[in-house]
Amino acid sequence: MKYITYVNQLIKELVAEPEEIVIFGQNVSAGSCISGLTRGLTVKKDGLILNTSNSENSLCGIGFGLMLSKVPSIFFMKQQDFLLLGIDHLVNTYNFIRTKKPESSFTIFTPIIDNGYQGLQSSLNNFSDFCSIARIPGYAITNKVDAEKILKEHLISPGFRIIGISQRLCSEEILCPSLVNTDEKGNIFKYYSGNDATIVCFNFSFPQGLELYNKLKQENINASLFSVSSIINGDWSKIISDTSITKNMIILDDSKSINLSCNSLIKDVLEVTTLKSNILLSRDLSGDWLSPNEDKLVIDHNQIIEKIKKNNLI
Amino acid sequence: MLNDSTFPKNNSNTNSFKLAQEVIRIRLSQMLINELIKKKEFKIPIHLAFGHEAIAVAISNIMDKDDQLVLSHRNIHYNLARLKLLKPELDEYYLKKSGLAKGILGSMNLANEDKGIIYTSSILGNNLSVAAGLALGKKVKNETGLVTVVTGDGAMEEGSFYETLVFLKSNSLSSFIIVENNDWSLATSINERRSHIDIEKLCESIGVDYERLEGNDVYAYQKKMIELKKYAIENKQPICIEVNLTTLGFWRMKTNEFPLGKFVNYHAGNAPDINLLDSYNFFIIDNSEKDPVYVLKKYFDDNLINETSKRILNELKCELKEEIK
Ligand SMILES: Cc1ncc(C[n+]2csc(CCOP(=O)(O)OP(=O)(O)O)c2C)c(N)n1
Ligand SMILES: [Mg+2]
Repeated sequence: MKYITYVNQLIKELVAEPEEIVIFGQNVSAGSCISGLTRGLTVKKDGLILNTSNSENSLCGIGFGLMLSKVPSIFFMKQQDFLLLGIDHLVNTYNFIRTKKPESSFTIFTPIIDNGYQGLQSSLNNFSDFCSIARIPGYAITNKVDAEKILKEHLISPGFRIIGISQRLCSEEILCPSLVNTDEKGNIFKYYSGNDATIVCFNFSFPQGLELYNKLKQENINASLFSVSSIINGDWSKIISDTSITKNMIILDDSKSINLSCNSLIKDVLEVTTLKSNILLSRDLSGDWLSPNEDKLVIDHNQIIEKIKKNNLI
Repeated sequence: MLNDSTFPKNNSNTNSFKLAQEVIRIRLSQMLINELIKKKEFKIPIHLAFGHEAIAVAISNIMDKDDQLVLSHRNIHYNLARLKLLKPELDEYYLKKSGLAKGILGSMNLANEDKGIIYTSSILGNNLSVAAGLALGKKVKNETGLVTVVTGDGAMEEGSFYETLVFLKSNSLSSFIIVENNDWSLATSINERRSHIDIEKLCESIGVDYERLEGNDVYAYQKKMIELKKYAIENKQPICIEVNLTTLGFWRMKTNEFPLGKFVNYHAGNAPDINLLDSYNFFIIDNSEKDPVYVLKKYFDDNLINETSKRILNELKCELKEEIK
């Protein structure tokens, strides 16, 4: 099943449950329904599905207003860049809301444009930048396991959060790794356990992380594989204890910002562990990254395999 | 507009004298706060609203239990009108636990859910769409009541003003958008900062009803607001109400161009030219229609207003024993 179809199915099930919910945004029930994300949604009699005008700033405020009315809502938008127009609400209105204990749910749901063929409007692919500005809980969906946990836990639940999906993954088959464990909120997922290396994926780099895990396994290098879904309230302790065993940390972060949320993990790990290898695989933006391009984090697997093998011999 | 004969002069027993007392109470409460600001008592910025009393009293007075109010940085007049007390407001400005919002919100975001003030924002234009969300919430929950949001001639320049009008109209949401037009945004008058915006025509182009209030007559305002409220609720319509008023208080800024000082209207902090003096008519700031307290003279005898003001000032001083020692 395709990534977008799976996410859409889960959303469909979840929004049909509450007695009262407002689903709103531009073209949520028209045309392609945000490339299939909101196709076929139905809500109970007291709910509302609203195709709105193009006014992202106000739509963010309206979601918070609904929240103050104790009416749950989800604002689906076509891409994270459009949320730039609503940043005031993400910071200032949310700050007011959280001086109280919110009883109602407000979720902003948006694809992150990590497919560079949209040119200039696809440079902003770092999901955690938005979460960071006001410490907003935000959850990145990369596969079947995290999709299920995140959507069931957060799509409709008291409080405010942003949920992001990867545009690049939308037309791909959804990945289905086996889960070792996650925390209560679905902040960090551990998929495999191994003693030779610790792979940690940030933003939407999980597919590359899984591929790397499989390549290492073929070389008899057993790695642990983590994916960080939310940087807020991130408790690195499980990753830190894993690196204290493997001593080899490989971090993947496909975002293009200067501020990478993995930097905080790297700092915390280095404070307590002496690593044999500390590899950060991030975007090379030395070339032209603004013109339409494939926009993919590309990894030289052989180089990594050699490095880990060499380190583990020592 | 009401004419002078609507109320018999000097009839302090009528129910309607309460409105006048409210206007005076909010005036004097602000005068007391102004004196404290002059003494640099507060760490937070406070935006006084001398001259805005009539509209705040009228709106507060027509609010029913299920009505909601959404405010902006200049909110003291509405907060005082709804709360009917000064001390909790003052304690909030002192950031005390005993403050209206437990010292968490301060002045520019001060809301009071118990009294229907659901949200207040210091970011221009920010509160408009939140009010639209509240109005949509009422529609979804099939609740009665009207949402009123207050903005200014400066804040209405933000795009969210237009966006919100379109949303309210598109979704048939009963609401008031009050534009308190005092001609100023911080240190610039409308002429100094932009071309004229005809709010009536702007509203007309979106199909939003428009009304203009001026004259600072709390009785006329209340009468009009009752009519408008009925209309907005029965017809499920937003109404934009532009209130022309003057924020009383000013100072003069000396520049090379203006060696004698350029007139700058009061924005925030203390109003240096307004003083709580022990004199006759001490509660009036401007002897014209610009001053909602002066306008009360249309209906009530000078002596009655004077005596009432003295009594209210004493009551307020009793309420604030400690603060004004
Ligand atoms: C988005 C934003 N821009 C600028 C400011 C700074 N600011 C605070 S009050 C103010 C003037 C607002 O004028 P108006 O809406 O007419 O209200 P008034 O102060 O006249 O009552 C400005 C520019 C702000 N708070 N928010
Ligand atoms: Mg103004």
